[in-house]
Amino acid sequence: MPDPVYLDHAAGTPVRPEVLEAMLPFFGPRFGNPSSVHKWGRDARTALDEARERVAHALGASPDEICFTSGGTEADNIAILGSWRARRDAGRNAIVTTPIEHKAVLESVHAAAHEGAEERMCAMAPQGVVDVASFESLANASAAIASVMWVNNEIGTVQPIAQLAERAKAAGVLFHTDAVQALGKIAIDAKTVAFDMLSVSGHKIGAPKGVGAMFIRRGTVIEPLFHGGSQDRGRRPGTENVASVIGFARAAELAVSERDEECTRLTALRDQLESAILARVPDAVIHGRGAAKRAPHIVNVSVPGVDSESMLMALDLRGIGCSAGSACQSGSVEPSHVLSAIGVEPDLASSAIRMSLGSLSNEAAIARVAEVFPALVEKARGMARRAS
Amino acid sequence: MKERVLVAMSGGVDSSVAAALLVEQGYDVVGATMKLFCHGDDLPDRPCCSLDSVNDARRICQQLGVPHYVLNLESAFGRDVVDDFVHEYSVGRTPIPCVRCNTFTKFRDLLVKAGAIDATWIATGHYARTVNGELHRGVDLSKDQSYFLWGIDRRVLRRMLLPVGSQSKAETRAAAHRLGLELIAEKVESQDICFVPDGDHTKIIRQRLGAGAPALSAGPFVLSNGSPVGTHDGFARFTIGQRRGLPGGFREPMFVVAIRPEDRAVVIGPREELLGRGVVARGVNWLVDPPPVGARVSIQVRHRAAAAAAEIVRIDGEEIELALDEPVSAITPGQSLVMYDGERVLGGGFIEASRRSLPVRAA
Repeated sequence: MPDPVYLDHAAGTPVRPEVLEAMLPFFGPRFGNPSSVHKWGRDARTALDEARERVAHALGASPDEICFTSGGTEADNIAILGSWRARRDAGRNAIVTTPIEHKAVLESVHAAAHEGAEERMCAMAPQGVVDVASFESLANASAAIASVMWVNNEIGTVQPIAQLAERAKAAGVLFHTDAVQALGKIAIDAKTVAFDMLSVSGHKIGAPKGVGAMFIRRGTVIEPLFHGGSQDRGRRPGTENVASVIGFARAAELAVSERDEECTRLTALRDQLESAILARVPDAVIHGRGAAKRAPHIVNVSVPGVDSESMLMALDLRGIGCSAGSACQSGSVEPSHVLSAIGVEPDLASSAIRMSLGSLSNEAAIARVAEVFPALVEKARGMARRAS
Repeated sequence: MKERVLVAMSGGVDSSVAAALLVEQGYDVVGATMKLFCHGDDLPDRPCCSLDSVNDARRICQQLGVPHYVLNLESAFGRDVVDDFVHEYSVGRTPIPCVRCNTFTKFRDLLVKAGAIDATWIATGHYARTVNGELHRGVDLSKDQSYFLWGIDRRVLRRMLLPVGSQSKAETRAAAHRLGLELIAEKVESQDICFVPDGDHTKIIRQRLGAGAPALSAGPFVLSNGSPVGTHDGFARFTIGQRRGLPGGFREPMFVVAIRPEDRAVVIGPREELLGRGVVARGVNWLVDPPPVGARVSIQVRHRAAAAAAEIVRIDGEEIELALDEPVSAITPGQSLVMYDGERVLGGGFIEASRRSLPVRAA
């Protein structure tokens, strides 16, 4: 069997060797608790502070604006529930978001709605980009917070974050963006873009799972979700995950410094993959392809009449790992809420396959997928013809 | 090149051992657990189809070194199995969802998935055997599940592998230990219908049809002469032959002998009123070339019931009528009629009616 091909970088990436190397001392000699008063504590604490500075630098922020979390989900929860709870009594009760957000955002908004928040969903254009006029009309004087993801994790469309953040700011609405898929793909600069909060995650950029960070602009009040110690200025109590945070800082630095080069490389590979698929399967639909801006690493393709579950199995059995958007806890494939929100018919949505490129993607891998995927489509269609 | 087999794995001992035996026999095994319904988060673990069961199946596959997938067949299962289940109760019958699950979900829909991954074979942990393209009872008669398999497409038999059907349950458990499958070797067997939490089937009827559905509304208990003898709280709570929940004060034990949805009546009577000399079934499916009218067969009218000798007196397309040599008790509409020739399953159908008097063959 040829080398396996990993095409699920949007789900997770291998820890980079530089990252692992940076982390190792903190499992061993520098194991101390950063809150301790002794040498061991200081060793850990200084490394933690330095990591915070490096993450801040990567995002154009100040170190005190960086809060470490267990990942994107926790950051999204803190951003939405934490800021809404802090603002609910000030006459701003609504939360504005989009139907294509990650479940971490959508479910946090639902949780707030359970506590009395008003939920407002922006209209979407069929290209998978939020309708700015709709956003503007919803993010008004009665809204507490608006949350719009920077890069959609299923279809890779880039949202006009700078513009939306400005509109929110003008209306006095806090603006949060889930930038989990944007880090390393899009320039993120807290100095020039007016978001108040931003979530990022480690395992999408070559750091371990279980670590992430959020940017919280100075002066933004949030109610913490956890209670306990005074770590992270009380915003996120609990002994810091020092080793992972060090790894995350290293990965974030690398992702930002390599961004232009990596985006150029991935864009070329992606275009190669898309044109190869479209050449052999002309009726394949690549979702979000019509968006003004797309991230370079996500290809979401539906082949009419070929169900994604069977395709994922067939690909996996040939050593090619893809996904179908989101998976439920049991591991079964669920219909994508993102595709249905942008108006994709259920039948077409149920044939969607997400291929996401990254560090493990190269010419050979893409060539192999460009060969195997259309062949599997042709085979599946041959079987369907015989059955009918 | 090893032949590929897709094994339907519930996370239980039978299907796990089936997969392990096939690996041992040199097949290219792919495990799959079907997600058929969602209980939501508020129900305790169920023996089948729950998250823990999926996890068990995945771990067994990992141990066997074979891939495992979770296949979402929820909407098709809801349509083909659950909707029918609710409908059958609403018209006074007692359905067996496992029959339709085998017919439609396992040996049709899952077979399509098998085709998509080039699997020549499909395997399950059923206690039944395929012999030269025919279906036979499982060797362990106390576990025999051939009764539930009459509805599958006859052509599928040649693609089916039923590795535990040729052994006893005790041997299956022993094999689980021998093969190191300690995780599931002593797992308790599920007796309930997988999508009916806590064994109360009325919940799902209420969910689908509403609490005011006729099948769940009060109606009369009547004797077969028509005289009312009490009130029940919904005929869907009753099945033919049931004693529980009936009015008392009779000289002999009373049983449900009929359910009449048109006036919501549950008809009760003494034991002899349960006896039938004939049976009519619809939706008949044959697993062999159909026998002629007049053929002698042995029939089974419920799971674990003893086989009874019968003669086919009428075949009208997918409907069949049989005359029974001896009276058979509690022939229940909605259950399956399965016809055997010894060990061999000839075919079956859904019981439509029981006949009190002996049917005769049309001249």
